[in-house]
Amino acid sequence: MNPFARLFRQGPALDDHASRRLADWQALPQETPQVALDQGRFVVVDVESTGLDLTRDRLIAIGAVGVREGRIRLDDSFEVVLRQERVSSKDNILIHGIGGEAQREGLPPVEALLAFLAYLGKSPLVAFHVTFDETMIRRALRDHLGVNLKHAWLDLAYVMPGLLPEYARRYRALDDWTGHFAIANYARHSALADALATAQLLLAAMNLGRARNSLSYASLRDLEKAQRWLSWAN
Amino acid sequence: MPAAPALIAATADHLARFAPFDRMEREHLAWMAERLRLGYYAKGESVLAPERGEVRTFYVIKQGVIQGERAGEGAWLELHEGECFPIGALLARRAAISTFRAQGDLFCYEMDAADFHQLLRLSQPFHDFCTLRLADLLAQSQRQTQARYTAAATQQQSLESPLSAIVRRDPVTCAPDTPLKAVLETMRDQAVGSIVVVEGDRQPVGMFTVRDLIGRVILPRTELDTPIRHLMTPDPVALPSAARAFEAALVMARHGFRHVLVADGGRLAGVVSEKDLFSLQRVGVTQVSATIRAAADLEQLKKAGEDIRQLGHNMLAQGVGAEQLTQILSTLNDLLTHRIIELECTAAGDCRYTFCWLAFGSEGRLEQTLATDQDNGIIFLVPPGESADAVRPTLLARAERINRALDVCGFPLCKGGIMAMNPKWCLSLEEWKETFARWIDAGDPEALLNASIFFDFRPLHGQESLAEELRAWLLAKTVATPRFLHQMAANALRNRPPLGLMRDFVVEAAGEHADTLDLKLNGSTPFVDAGRLFSLATGVDATGTAQRLRAAAPRLKIPPAEVEAWISAFYFIQMLRLKGQHEESEAGLAMDNRINPDLLNDLDRRILKEAFRQARKVQSRLALDYQV
Repeated sequence: MNPFARLFRQGPALDDHASRRLADWQALPQETPQVALDQGRFVVVDVESTGLDLTRDRLIAIGAVGVREGRIRLDDSFEVVLRQERVSSKDNILIHGIGGEAQREGLPPVEALLAFLAYLGKSPLVAFHVTFDETMIRRALRDHLGVNLKHAWLDLAYVMPGLLPEYARRYRALDDWTGHFAIANYARHSALADALATAQLLLAAMNLGRARNSLSYASLRDLEKAQRWLSWAN
Repeated sequence: MPAAPALIAATADHLARFAPFDRMEREHLAWMAERLRLGYYAKGESVLAPERGEVRTFYVIKQGVIQGERAGEGAWLELHEGECFPIGALLARRAAISTFRAQGDLFCYEMDAADFHQLLRLSQPFHDFCTLRLADLLAQSQRQTQARYTAAATQQQSLESPLSAIVRRDPVTCAPDTPLKAVLETMRDQAVGSIVVVEGDRQPVGMFTVRDLIGRVILPRTELDTPIRHLMTPDPVALPSAARAFEAALVMARHGFRHVLVADGGRLAGVVSEKDLFSLQRVGVTQVSATIRAAADLEQLKKAGEDIRQLGHNMLAQGVGAEQLTQILSTLNDLLTHRIIELECTAAGDCRYTFCWLAFGSEGRLEQTLATDQDNGIIFLVPPGESADAVRPTLLARAERINRALDVCGFPLCKGGIMAMNPKWCLSLEEWKETFARWIDAGDPEALLNASIFFDFRPLHGQESLAEELRAWLLAKTVATPRFLHQMAANALRNRPPLGLMRDFVVEAAGEHADTLDLKLNGSTPFVDAGRLFSLATGVDATGTAQRLRAAAPRLKIPPAEVEAWISAFYFIQMLRLKGQHEESEAGLAMDNRINPDLLNDLDRRILKEAFRQARKVQSRLALDYQV
């Protein structure tokens, strides 16, 4: 990581090829969050990092699956490991299972993040506990590509209790909610498997949303905001 | 679009846990996974319905349960993780027949119909799975049974094959006027044990075997120039060459013959011997039946009883179908009972048959399995001027000796006391009519239970006309009592076959019957109940389930194909019961009707599900006909 980039808020130096790819992505039109949930494309992400400290820990892996027209598309999925200069701690490796070798053999961060942006396009994002995923991804994009990600994010950690208030006090973690819908996770704490489980939760949320006429991404975001306010108020 | 290899691999791994994906090539599974979408359905939501027109999507359940419902029939099918649908509709490019509804939170993989058709072309196992009909599956299952049981890899003759395939060489024949000496010389030269006597254009008129020598030639010191026509067994039994081997086995068992002629249009085509049918078996059908016929005491009959069971196991091992096997077993058991009664009557010095021995339950239906206890009774004639109560004691004493003899021969006494030695079931014709009439009028649970056992009565030995009269009377009565039929239908519908193999079903989590299901109660009983009810409603006098269904179907306007599907399903379940009992017996365990569906192979599991589905269809028909 270039310490100056952080100090001066300047974009890092990218080679021509990388710059062109970045420009291509930037040129894509921004998708509107007003789009109906069962029409547009949404990308559900989950990340693995060196730890849970938002200011110091680094991004290790991104897993993502696309949801289009109300269905998870298995052929619209993405997974990348970012090359680490320093391998994360043993305890940390035990969580996500990305070993030291895999961390060293990951793609160079610039390459990995450009691939992620190409996959993402300008589709709105969805995650469970957005703050963590968003912070990790935004910081990595800013440090390595000098990009300020302007995408909308939807947080299922707030949307779900908003849709099923009777469970709001009991359920906190992703496992609570996936357990409720009997969503199997083929490899918990793998970014891709968690993204798939989160995407399945999104399908359930869309179904519940349809029942109460919250038919667009934006209306679920409104629900999320109301729920955030409610949880602060409590 | 990019696909993350790890996700495709995980999806293929998941699918590969289920049939038919477990037999598919890895590359075809990956090909499939890349084309899947994942959808969610909330409880009660319909995934697919007939009104949506031609099916455009192939579904595989990722997690959750789907129930299939048909208009007018209600739920008839339950699908679980890893199962796919609607294959028939996709193959025929038509709308679904059923509404498929999520029973809870449901995640379903979905693939375009075009990809489904492409996958059929790519993957042979997938193609086979989708296109094989039930009948093919049944045949396949039977072949597997055969393969599993025939430890020695010797070519065994299937009792299903036509006689034309069994007849090995031209039969040795002679004319009726041939002198005995010439006949015996021919038999020696040709090294045969039997010769067929023919007239004109090979029309069989008689049969002579080496076994006839002692009784007909040596002991009576018959002159060697005697024409064979005076020594032969006249009017030999002949079957057409299209008849199946098991029919020949039945003829041999019934009449105690070792040879059956094969003739088409009265013209001799060959001879089938017992050896041809059971070339590698230790005990043959005729051998057992001959032993029974000739048995002079209980000790010999006991041995024959053991032979019958051994024969049952051997024939199962040969891959003999359930229909034939249960019929042959029942025929031999009949013979054994016959002989026990004969011996008893001879001992009592009273061979006037003023009574008839009746078989009830599975024996009455000719559907005995390997584990069977006694269900019998007596119907008797009251001589003029006497009362039933005066006649009964003698018969009861005789019946008790017969029941105990049967017990010795391997038919345990009935725990419920349904035996001829019980005064309740040793009745005169009038008393049986009164008893049956009482049940029909009462229609309470006990009466219905009794009806389900006793109304399957079949005369076994003695004054059969008594039983025939009772049958005719019973049918006239039931046909005219729709209320009783309605009660029987309602009672039959209390026992629902499971939709899946385990769910909505009493599977105990632990204990003696952990994870097993009862093939008799949940599998064959619905068919048996329906057969009985249809026969009582339409006046069919057969007692066998398949015969009842076949005979009643035209009168009830049930399409033949539907009935045949029921019968195949019924026999498949009977086959599984027999196999289960065989395995239990081999392992030295008590035989019952329980199996653990997890221990079945994929194919049998799939057919069993289909068989349960057929059982539900039979019940839908009952519900519809009797407005239950």
